[in-house]
Amino acid sequence: MTTQDWREQVEELLKRAARLRHGEAKVMALEEAARLADTHGDLDLAFEVRDDLIDAATFGGFPDKALVAFAWCRGQAKKNPERFESDLLLWKQKWVVGRLDDFPHISRKQIQEALDDIEQTYARVDAGKRSVLKLRYQTARDMGDEATAQQFWDQWISAPRDHLTDCLACDLDDEIDHHIDRGEYKKALEKAQPILEGRSSCAEIPHLTYGSLLYPLLKLERLEEARDYHLRGYPMISRNRDFLATVGEHLEFLALTDNLSRGLTLFEKHLGWAMDHASWRDRFSFHAAASFLLSRLVAEGRDTVSLQLPKAFALHQRQSTYAVRELHGWVETQAQEIAARFDTRNDTDRFQKLLERTRGLSRDVHPFPIDVPQG
Amino acid sequence: MDHRFQINLRGVIDLLSHHLYSSPGVYVRELLQNATDAIRARQLLEPGHEGTVRVELIEKQDGGLPTLLFSDDGVGLTEEEIHRFLATIGESSKREALAEHRNDFIGQFGIGLLSCFMVCNELLVVTRSVKGDGRTMEWRGRHDGTYSVRPSEHPLERPGTQVFLLARQDTAELFTVERVRQLALHYGGLLPFPILLTAQESTARINTEGAPWRRKYESPSDRRAALLAYGREVFGSDFIDCIPLKSSAGDVEGVAFVLPFSPHYNAKQKHRVYLKNMLLSESAENLLPDWAFFVKCVVNANELRPTASRESFYENETLAKAREALGLALRRYLTELAKDDPRALQRLISLHGLSVKALALDDDEFYRLVIGWLPFETSLGMMTLVDYRRQSPTVRYVSSLDDFRQVARVAAAQSLCVVNAAYTYDTDLIEKLPRLFPDAQVEPFSAAELPQSFDELTLDEREAVFPLIKVAELALQPFQCDVEVKKFRPKEVPTLYSSDAEGAFRRDAERAREESDDLYGSMMDSVLTGAQGADRPLLTFNFLNPVVRKLAAVTDRNVMKLSVEMLYVQALLLGHRPLSAKEMALLNQGLLGLIAAHLDGGGEDSGQGGMH
Repeated sequence: MTTQDWREQVEELLKRAARLRHGEAKVMALEEAARLADTHGDLDLAFEVRDDLIDAATFGGFPDKALVAFAWCRGQAKKNPERFESDLLLWKQKWVVGRLDDFPHISRKQIQEALDDIEQTYARVDAGKRSVLKLRYQTARDMGDEATAQQFWDQWISAPRDHLTDCLACDLDDEIDHHIDRGEYKKALEKAQPILEGRSSCAEIPHLTYGSLLYPLLKLERLEEARDYHLRGYPMISRNRDFLATVGEHLEFLALTDNLSRGLTLFEKHLGWAMDHASWRDRFSFHAAASFLLSRLVAEGRDTVSLQLPKAFALHQRQSTYAVRELHGWVETQAQEIAARFDTRNDTDRFQKLLERTRGLSRDVHPFPIDVPQG
Repeated sequence: MDHRFQINLRGVIDLLSHHLYSSPGVYVRELLQNATDAIRARQLLEPGHEGTVRVELIEKQDGGLPTLLFSDDGVGLTEEEIHRFLATIGESSKREALAEHRNDFIGQFGIGLLSCFMVCNELLVVTRSVKGDGRTMEWRGRHDGTYSVRPSEHPLERPGTQVFLLARQDTAELFTVERVRQLALHYGGLLPFPILLTAQESTARINTEGAPWRRKYESPSDRRAALLAYGREVFGSDFIDCIPLKSSAGDVEGVAFVLPFSPHYNAKQKHRVYLKNMLLSESAENLLPDWAFFVKCVVNANELRPTASRESFYENETLAKAREALGLALRRYLTELAKDDPRALQRLISLHGLSVKALALDDDEFYRLVIGWLPFETSLGMMTLVDYRRQSPTVRYVSSLDDFRQVARVAAAQSLCVVNAAYTYDTDLIEKLPRLFPDAQVEPFSAAELPQSFDELTLDEREAVFPLIKVAELALQPFQCDVEVKKFRPKEVPTLYSSDAEGAFRRDAERAREESDDLYGSMMDSVLTGAQGADRPLLTFNFLNPVVRKLAAVTDRNVMKLSVEMLYVQALLLGHRPLSAKEMALLNQGLLGLIAAHLDGGGEDSGQGGMH
């Protein structure tokens, strides 16, 4: 291949990627471009392409690919600090470190070291304190270390903002999650007002917020609003696997409001993502919600359901007829196995507790029709 | 007697201007809204009352600040109603209350007036109600929060309301004829009654014709031309087509314009929407089904509920029904294209293939209609699935670019047609095929499967390559690569390196480990342990290739090993597989080794000959 050829190819791939919405196709185009640049030894181009790749992978639901691309860039930036501006990477490091606990094969020690490392990296540019505190809070929360989480929550929430701080909408959304964790549903909703009224938003907000408020609204018996956020929120997330956990929240909501058929449609549509998603935490959220949905169908006495499930699915049936109990058993096992892996790595019982919460959800069932034709 | 508001008026104005309103020009919208509401209320009492809004710019001879007069012949307000709207203002310091008050006539009137304080310090409202005793009342309010209400010394002859705004030094640029005209047209261009603008002693109607889609035209082509011209005027684009929109749910009507370019993936189309003929938003997003990102539209809705921020519509049953109806109109348009004008459809697909594909995924009937027109990239060139099935009953496809590149060249030479379904929606579209056409078969294909379609060796050939296989397996052991020898076309290709999709990612992680520091390097190890799939890659030698045949016959094991290593590296490079450090070392040492072997093996003659 001539020089011209491959450069043109890279250009073509980058152009294509720019036209695509976040998702697998975009990530693949950029990976391909990065490999071409690597093959031809063009380090600068390879760095530039990976810079885009980290974004696309982060926001397109491939956190493992973001991590790998980041590791490569970081290596280059460390070796050639003048050539590769590491400032570019500062912001991305936050995304990468924030997802480390999603991978059960990354050890606690590695996660801690990565947190210490980002703290030192940010200290060198004398910024980002607030961001690091949030990362520490969220990591501790996700890993079930409640005492540490509380300690960093207090520090995070009072730390001043700077240019490395997440946008206001994201920060607010993360605050809301804290109140939901603690069952402070009213407070969560109060805080969410700027987001719900459309005054505060970004690329992922209100998408995430709509999903996380469904359960609080149900508990507060504000079902009309919940339905509204479901109907508005689901289309925002239904085409991007980065939102798999939020899909789980919508699925759970449909099961809780006894909209089982709608719930099955979501299960059918998104099981494929859950089967090979790099974030095991998101897989867990989906499978846990699906196991609740399927347990409702079992409770209703449904023996079989017709579903178009992916060919790669372990129980795949050509005839598209599935035994509800078998499906339920499968997703429940998935959720349990993932929970066990996380709890072992974290040395806490957070995921066991999350499973228990799911099992107890049948107490919260509150039938409420969503019957609005879908556009 | 002067009164004082019970609240901090500055606070409310601040709230309005910073949170509720995007620009100070919004006061024109609010005044038009008030006038419209008043006229509608009067029409309920007096059917047949047409209604007129008059806007007059009164400029001072001495160059002093101008005054703007907004008047309507609507219902007007009684004294009691004036006090009620004042009370409303008092409660308006909370956003929620504001949103609530917008839904009633009096509340909206008060909030609308407040917005005027963004551009002036003093307001005079003179009003006479159709109800009551026929007195004319006046209310004078100032931005410092003081106001007075009294019977007017200049009674109005007929019911209606006049609002006087005295410009402020810093807002004078909003009080020019041109600005006022623009703003009134912007917000009220579709209003079904006249808006008259008077300035410099001449009066003209601003909104001449009402909504363009409600007008009558001589012919369909006149209509199309007029609507496209309107689209250009509104959005500044030369659209390729326009589609009428109508929904009885929400009482929505308007027109969708087909974009003349492929939209950027995250550019949500922003639609211009009117609520009861008043401009509500220029950036409404939730009006169309989410596959319909190939159009931008202008619509008026009479029965949809705006959200508090007035940027879009409240997501309720009516909106869902309206969205479905508008989606149907777009779908009907595409369906008719597919039936009547396939060339136009193909042009549309070339620009808006993604929209068409997204709809085909959601809608079976549309899928059946359009699948024959959707082009797919294959190892044998672009073709539709219908073309494909003419030559092969089973549609084979790969879902990753990497797979496609590995497969394409060799597959083509075997006349094997494989679809590149790495583009958005393509895999889903192909997998949908057998569900709608029961006789169709589709099968995912992977580069790793390609060697299975190659010809096996004969027994003699097997014997002949046995040493090569043994040497190659040993040489490639450190690279965890398996070896096979088969026969495939094109014969110019000596080897084929194939791996599953995870294989490429594993190689990326391995190289990142080499490049990165200890911390992230160790995480790459974890990623590699945690990664799934992990089928070993395979290097297939092509026994049809003359070099491979010669190589199989080489007796010098060292030369054979070096050659295998070089072929391995070449296969990687041909497949765009960046080399790891270990493979790079192989390349460097291997080249030298081969040169040395050649120099040695070529005999002293050539070696010495070179010295001369």
